Amino acid sequence: MLQHGKEAEPAAPTAQTAVRTDRPAPHASRRRFLTGLAGAGAAFAAPALLTGCGTAQAKGATMKFWNFYAPQNSPDPAIRAQAKWFTDLIDLWNSTHSPKIELVYIPVGDYTNGAKLPTAFATGSGPDIFLLSPGDFLRYYNGGVLADLTPHLDHGVVEDYGTALTSRMVDGKVYALPMEIEPLAMFYSIDTWEKAGLSEGDIPTTWDQMLGLGDKLRTRTRAGLVFETNPGYYQNFTWYPWMWQGGGDVLDAHGNVSFDSKATRQALSFWQDAVRHGIAPRTLPAAGDVIGGFKGDNVAMWQTGIWNVASFKAFAPEYRYGVFKLPAPDGGKYVTTLGGWSFCANAQSGNSDAAAEFCAWAIGSMKDDAIDRMVDWCIRAKSDVAPRTTALERGAAKGGYDSTIMKKFKDEVFPGGRAEPRYPPVVYKAISDAIQSTMLTGADVAAETQRAAESMKAYTKSYQGASLV
Amino acid sequence: MSSVTAHDTAGAKPRTTGGPTAQAPASAHPRLSRRHREWVAAGLFLAPDALGLLVFVAIPMVLSVVLSLFQVSGFGSYQWVGLGNYDRMFHDPLFWQSMKITGIYVVVLVPVLFCLSLALGLLVKQKLPGVGAYRTALFLPYVISLVVVGVLWKFMLDDQVGVVNKAMRAAGFGGASWLGSPGLALASVIAVMTWVMMGYYMIIFLAGLQEIPQEYYEAARIDGASAWRSFRSITWPLLRPTSFFVLLMSTVAAITGGLDLLFVLTKGGPANGTSLAIFYIYQQAFTFGEYGYASAMGTFLVLIMVVFAGVIFKVTKGGRFDDGE
Repeated sequence: MLQHGKEAEPAAPTAQTAVRTDRPAPHASRRRFLTGLAGAGAAFAAPALLTGCGTAQAKGATMKFWNFYAPQNSPDPAIRAQAKWFTDLIDLWNSTHSPKIELVYIPVGDYTNGAKLPTAFATGSGPDIFLLSPGDFLRYYNGGVLADLTPHLDHGVVEDYGTALTSRMVDGKVYALPMEIEPLAMFYSIDTWEKAGLSEGDIPTTWDQMLGLGDKLRTRTRAGLVFETNPGYYQNFTWYPWMWQGGGDVLDAHGNVSFDSKATRQALSFWQDAVRHGIAPRTLPAAGDVIGGFKGDNVAMWQTGIWNVASFKAFAPEYRYGVFKLPAPDGGKYVTTLGGWSFCANAQSGNSDAAAEFCAWAIGSMKDDAIDRMVDWCIRAKSDVAPRTTALERGAAKGGYDSTIMKKFKDEVFPGGRAEPRYPPVVYKAISDAIQSTMLTGADVAAETQRAAESMKAYTKSYQGASLV
Repeated sequence: MSSVTAHDTAGAKPRTTGGPTAQAPASAHPRLSRRHREWVAAGLFLAPDALGLLVFVAIPMVLSVVLSLFQVSGFGSYQWVGLGNYDRMFHDPLFWQSMKITGIYVVVLVPVLFCLSLALGLLVKQKLPGVGAYRTALFLPYVISLVVVGVLWKFMLDDQVGVVNKAMRAAGFGGASWLGSPGLALASVIAVMTWVMMGYYMIIFLAGLQEIPQEYYEAARIDGASAWRSFRSITWPLLRPTSFFVLLMSTVAAITGGLDLLFVLTKGGPANGTSLAIFYIYQQAFTFGEYGYASAMGTFLVLIMVVFAGVIFKVTKGGRFDDGE
């Protein structure tokens, strides 16, 4: 459970004391007594009613696997391949294991921003198995709904995952198994590049060079350089590497707030300058459709992730685009963020053991099937870096990273990566507000950095739960 | 029927007419008067609706108030905090910023929507060729999903290639970042919301306008009244019940609606510039899992709406005419 210490006052009365205060005074009327009794009853009954008397799946019942891939029927071959990967996986499990699993498809927007998943967990009827992003890990772990997968993992799996597991572990135990690694890089249009007389030799390696190029490539209908503009976990995810490159961090190794630093201010100023000078737009071109933005010649460079390689392949196979790793500031060191979703089992489910066993069987075993399955997901169904060393090697051996773009991701972009942090909502929000204010309203960078750091300090002082780092 | 014939007067001992099945109803239910029977019938007709309101509105509202007294983890853990969530709300600058933005939004949207809808209602009341098509076209945005509306306008307001900026550039003006500039984003959201809602309120006004007897206007015309005088002395006063309804409903809609549209258009940005209270409450509940805190803010918002509704009732006299009808 999240313990916002500043909110959870130790001296606050308990539900029991609430009942006592509702008891009638010696000479209270019958009506007053009944009214008080009804109020107290409501207070007691509220949690049960508010949870809809829901319970997680009963033991032995068919397990539900909530996800945003399958089952669905789409004209997009990439989405069809991803959906098939999931249905094949479940069919195989169901033919050899019990209890069986049923896939429940939730559209990705609803899954990430909607009320369905949080409401299900709040009412005690969360799915047995589900997908989780690093940004949500701590909230779910502190809520006590993540089952320990460690006992179900084969010997050697943790080592095979290596640092990809770090942000999904607490006290040496694994609570989520990554199915993919999704690094961020800069995508650019080769045609735009060439029309401007540029070649691969002009790929920027510093922030100033990139701003200069963006300025050169922009037109009235084409953004020179695109950074994420919408507030949210994703924007923070795309901003972190710019801060890390200068040696900054949100929290230090001990969990202390270290946000108010030169590197933070430098990263905030970088985005602010890009927008202020009109090099980066205030809103995403083509309403955020990366492929549409490039095809429509509305963007020259866009900071986005490896998943768009599959999208280009599906929607614009002939389109000429390139990728380069994020430039670093003067005196800085290259870093990018590594995203990606994980398999999780619900600890509150009646089938939590079977659900955890499924996660381990699917992608957390040393058996060839599990490794090949991950390879298949990362190089055929999607375009991702495999989070396990064995899977990455097999994927490379199978030619999954032979294309220029995927090779670049595997050999240049990924090696400098750092896992997406697992900061809780209050920390996320403070950072988000600082990014939004400086980038889009031109607010003072130093003041916003300090404000965000103070907000985080107040929160972390009373935070109780798993380590924030 | 035995129950009818078994007793003739109140208090008289029922006649025994047969077995227990015939006798029991007669003794248990004395004959109801016509008025009481009407009440029973009215009650039975109202019961399904009342039950629906109870189950889907009243009970959730009470539960929401109760929930606001707990700290809720979002994973089934409830901790009693009394008024702690309200205390937190009063000290939360982002909540007050969202309330301020909501205030601006309501103060601008409601009058604009009111005037525009009324103007359109007056326009489409005219006997023009193809007026039905105009009415349909104006009403159409209201029946489109707000998500679709949001996507549509997001493209139209695009910085680089949006049709609005293209038109402005063609007219010799520079383009603008309609959804990305702090000074313009809220105005853009208000404009889109007005576009969505005006057709609905136009129909409401049209219905009200058509209720006004035509003879009044004819008499005014014979007396030499101008169009403005007719509007001021006939239309406006006789539209009072409709105006009251539109004012009340549009205020409530402005305070509680538009969440889908905000999600698609701005996600509350830039820099919380379009983070209306309803958006902030949703974010706290479903993004951060702070259900207790979100309920406290929701309860407060309902109280604000009750006050608003009270003021509107008072100012407009509940939409009644001066003679109290």
